[in-house]
Amino acid sequence: MAPVPMPSALSFELLGKCSVTKARAATLQLPHGPVPLPIFMPVATQASLKGLTPEQLEDAGCRLCLNNTYHLGLKPGQATLDAIGGAHKFQSWPHNILTDSGGFQMVSLLKLAQVTEEGVRFLSPHDGSPMLLTPEHSISLQNSIGSDIIMQLDDVITTTSPDLARMTEAMERSVRWLDRCIQAHKYPERQNLFCIIQGGLDLDLRRKCTAEMVARDTPGIAIGGLSGGEAKDAYCKVVDTCTGLLPEKKPRYVMGIGYPEDLVVSVALGADMFDCVWPTRTARFGNAITARGVLNLRNAVYSEDFGPIEEGCRCVCCRSQEDGGLGITRAYIYHVTAKETTGAHLLTMHNVQYQLNLMRLVREAIIEDRYPAFLKEFFGKLYDDKSKYPEWAVDALRGVGVDLLSD
Amino acid sequence: MSVNEQQPQLSDLPPEMLDFNILKATIPLAPRLGRLSLPGRKSILTPAFLGNTSRGAVPHISQDNFRKCTTLNGVYVALEDFIEKMPHKQPPVFQVEGEEPLRQFIALPKETLLVLGARRAPPVPSPAANTNSEVGLYTSVGFRSISSEYFAAAVRNLQPDIVVGLADIPFGQESIGTKRKDKMADRTETWMRDIIAKRKTLEKEERNFNIFAPILPIERDLQSWYLEHLVDDMAAKIHGVAIYDSFLLDGLPEELHHLPRLSFDTPATPQALLRQVNLGVDVFTVPFVTDATDAGIALDFTFPAPAKQDAESNVRQSLGVDMWRTEHALSVTSLTEGCTCYACTKHHRAYVQHLLSAKEMLGWVLIQLHNHAILDAFFAGIRNSIENGSFDNDFAAFEAYYEPALPEKTGQGPRVRGYQFKSEEGQGKVPKKNPKAYKPLMGETDRLKLQAIHGQQPNKKPEVADQIDDEALMGLVDLENMRPEEQLEALEVEDDKS
Repeated sequence: MAPVPMPSALSFELLGKCSVTKARAATLQLPHGPVPLPIFMPVATQASLKGLTPEQLEDAGCRLCLNNTYHLGLKPGQATLDAIGGAHKFQSWPHNILTDSGGFQMVSLLKLAQVTEEGVRFLSPHDGSPMLLTPEHSISLQNSIGSDIIMQLDDVITTTSPDLARMTEAMERSVRWLDRCIQAHKYPERQNLFCIIQGGLDLDLRRKCTAEMVARDTPGIAIGGLSGGEAKDAYCKVVDTCTGLLPEKKPRYVMGIGYPEDLVVSVALGADMFDCVWPTRTARFGNAITARGVLNLRNAVYSEDFGPIEEGCRCVCCRSQEDGGLGITRAYIYHVTAKETTGAHLLTMHNVQYQLNLMRLVREAIIEDRYPAFLKEFFGKLYDDKSKYPEWAVDALRGVGVDLLSD
Repeated sequence: MSVNEQQPQLSDLPPEMLDFNILKATIPLAPRLGRLSLPGRKSILTPAFLGNTSRGAVPHISQDNFRKCTTLNGVYVALEDFIEKMPHKQPPVFQVEGEEPLRQFIALPKETLLVLGARRAPPVPSPAANTNSEVGLYTSVGFRSISSEYFAAAVRNLQPDIVVGLADIPFGQESIGTKRKDKMADRTETWMRDIIAKRKTLEKEERNFNIFAPILPIERDLQSWYLEHLVDDMAAKIHGVAIYDSFLLDGLPEELHHLPRLSFDTPATPQALLRQVNLGVDVFTVPFVTDATDAGIALDFTFPAPAKQDAESNVRQSLGVDMWRTEHALSVTSLTEGCTCYACTKHHRAYVQHLLSAKEMLGWVLIQLHNHAILDAFFAGIRNSIENGSFDNDFAAFEAYYEPALPEKTGQGPRVRGYQFKSEEGQGKVPKKNPKAYKPLMGETDRLKLQAIHGQQPNKKPEVADQIDDEALMGLVDLENMRPEEQLEALEVEDDKS
């Protein structure tokens, strides 16, 4: 099938490239305003970011967040979204939204799902009646949501699956489904459809899939099927292989990635966009992300720690009152976490700010062409000793010209 | 009637002295207007209400939203929210260094009046009975007792603007014998003397606090000794009174009439609140605001009530809107027409209804902001009405216009913890408020679905996956009626119908 030339509702302005690694800095112009790349996108699963108002999310610096198609399809449902005029109006979010296709949740959360050429077939766990999510329906839902970036429905299977035939089938089906998604997409001039490269951990499959996907010329490209329990070095090889084959002038999104060390390494491997529920979910359990690692503030040692969550952090919680912030202490987070919803709100704001600020620093370092030095400093802060550096990160970065262990 | 003349001018007062200016009062047991001022804090025009905090925050309102989205000029904080680890350990709040440790710890704005009492409003009855020297508290990790000396020392350390003196009130006990009532008065008097004595020992450079004396919820003649001593020995050292039964205000000695009256006589409805205003109460804590929020009810009343559209009609208007109802699912109107709160100006009913049914915490945030705005406007209306001399008529019209009670709760609220809810039984026998969150022997599929609702991915890398702490998870969202299959059923797939 000859690919249909596709209009694009974005522009990608490359601002700088690291002279050593594959890292890039760019500005992505989307229908609801520009966003800086590389970027971390917080996940507002059900059109709400875990207790934060849209203004609080905006204040933390977020200009692009995720909604989950699967969840919005359940609640409030497509009819409501149509009646209200899409997810931006629904949640009063004036900035950009990216939605997934719904396929990942179907397959990973519902053991009863079965993938056929038509779509993802599953039994309603309620009454056992058969239901079906097709590429057309996924796009229709995302058209109703009105997100600025929409994702194709893909055939997701766990990367660790040993069944090469099934993996190949999934990869090829994802390509066919992309064609169906392109056909079904009603608003290419205002919503950007991203393809998703599949192929598990098999690099040949990934290469083939990348070629097919790139030929379809979607406005952006995602690398999918990762973050599913595979070894990190295998993950890095897939990202490295795919980005090596991608056109320079398109955004590259690696789905489901959010741990700080994963982010900085993936950027070095040439990826631009990331999302993960972890930073916001972990906040609800009292975990604060800091440059020196994750602190569980429910630990009694923090009950008398009257310092900010993280020294020097610019989030509204950590800044002092003199500095226009709240002067929230670790001891106060300890006092309210899991007892008052406000405890979750405060730490969620901090964690979102941490992730966004990390990407801001990454971007500055790339633009100033000092990303290798940034990486060394980052790992130096996170681990008190080089012997503790994760091997996969050391290996992956060595592969792009940065030796973390050298001085 | 004004007693202003006896009071020194604001500028003459030592820096932390509370000033209460009665702006309009007619006769005893009548509504009155006043202004509560403390240097450095925003003045509060009365009648007014304080933000009722839990563990230092107004429930669901984070400290930044408190600043940006509310107009609260004062809060009430309970000591029992902060001292649960004792006696094994010094409570962390006492170790905060610098000025005003409690204010710093809870990140309260500098200009907000801080009122501290021993018990939450309303208090959960403590299984530890009060004794001659100790008061029973109920903390988030169980009950404990503190002595009057401990309380006084805590107050000195925490430096609130106002402290409500310890009262010996056996909360949750239905009938109290005469002997017990005698004891209540005796103990409360002793404890008042303790806190006054503590205040005297403050060094010059130490921050002073203002004391509100409890007026006990017992007949006047049973606390007459206490009241006499308040007037004779302590009147100059107290700065307000705390009322536990507003109907006993007629027993308040005239010598104490000039003092601001803070009510802990929990009003269940706006009408009950108006009744207390009518008896001359100045400042309230209003627990029904958060109760309504947790129930998903957006308050919807104004004072004075709007003119009746149809004078003949006997249909009364509801005091609130149950935001759980699916009829709001497509409504892009504000929670209350014309309301200027953050929730009403930025969001609409459809979103709030969605947030509740999706158990997203933001639902309660928005309703809580709205409910506080409604109450704030309600009090402004009360003050205007008193000013205009139309309070009696407006009160009667309000009762005729609105239903006598808030709407029944239909949906699920956030999980309620032991220290947060009021037990009807008392005596420490606490009924189970939260049914078991997990059904026993939950199947794997059910568990996956439950986790799915929380965005947990089953294939997470085990070496870095978070520890899923069920207690923390359940602590924020009440899941006992969480039936993912219901949600799944609602998923309509067009292709399926053919």
